[in-house]
Amino acid sequence: MNTASITEPVLLILLSLAKRPRHGYAILQDTLEMSDGRMRLSTGTLYGALNRLLKEGWIERYDGDDQSRGKQSYRLTAAGRRNLQVEVSRLKHLARVAGLRVARKET
Amino acid sequence: MLRLYRSLLALYPAPYRREYADEMLSVLAQVEGNAAHATAWSKISLRTREATGLLLGALVEHARYITGLPVAPVLFPRRSRMRSEFRFPKATPILMTVILVAVIMAIEKAKAISDSLPPSSTPIPPIQPEHFSTVTTFLVILALAFSSAVIGWLVTFTLRRSGVQRFSDVHTGANEVRKS
Repeated sequence: MNTASITEPVLLILLSLAKRPRHGYAILQDTLEMSDGRMRLSTGTLYGALNRLLKEGWIERYDGDDQSRGKQSYRLTAAGRRNLQVEVSRLKHLARVAGLRVARKET
Repeated sequence: MLRLYRSLLALYPAPYRREYADEMLSVLAQVEGNAAHATAWSKISLRTREATGLLLGALVEHARYITGLPVAPVLFPRRSRMRSEFRFPKATPILMTVILVAVIMAIEKAKAISDSLPPSSTPIPPIQPEHFSTVTTFLVILALAFSSAVIGWLVTFTLRRSGVQRFSDVHTGANEVRKS
């Protein structure tokens, strides 16, 4: 998976894991909070994305304190963090260009 | 409700189920528990979203296992773009409804006028070509050409407003896969 194919749900999942390792339900809550309630991921969608990110080596399983049933945590790998930084830089550039274009249009 | 989710999880391929089914069921139980005091509409919305997500997830995973692709096009990256670029103007359905109502009303009015007239036994004679003068014929042709031009312009204008011409700018996900 290259960074060009990152969708908004995947980006939010990566951003959620960028801060600290989280388990499935915590990721759902965090993505909802980050998107101001706009992005309500279903469990099927979340695990489809987690599976994809695991297979690509962007995230890994993390055995934290709470290892009870269904509390498997995930965290970013070094490669995942690097790719996320590339994507964030791309979005920053896009936002800057968009801001300039919109400002020119208004004047 | 968890029973329904469990049965939907059974639709996933076995390796996927072994890896994630317990975890997903646990998350679904937490989601359901969190929505215990939600309104009926919120519960319906949530359960529909979860059930749809599981069904689509099962389809995507099966496709991935069948095709043998390392990564399936999960989450349909280009799906939302078509929605934002191709849409009819909001006034189109209203305009179409008004035109339809006007046509129906005209038909009804014509029927009423036809019924109100006394039946005539004398047949209407056929229109003879000599009834038309050269000037009249020319004016009729001119009117027809003008009407055709107006209709053509209206069709072009409607298509432009609907955004059909933007189809030429659409980039498909398949193209990007080939490029990468």
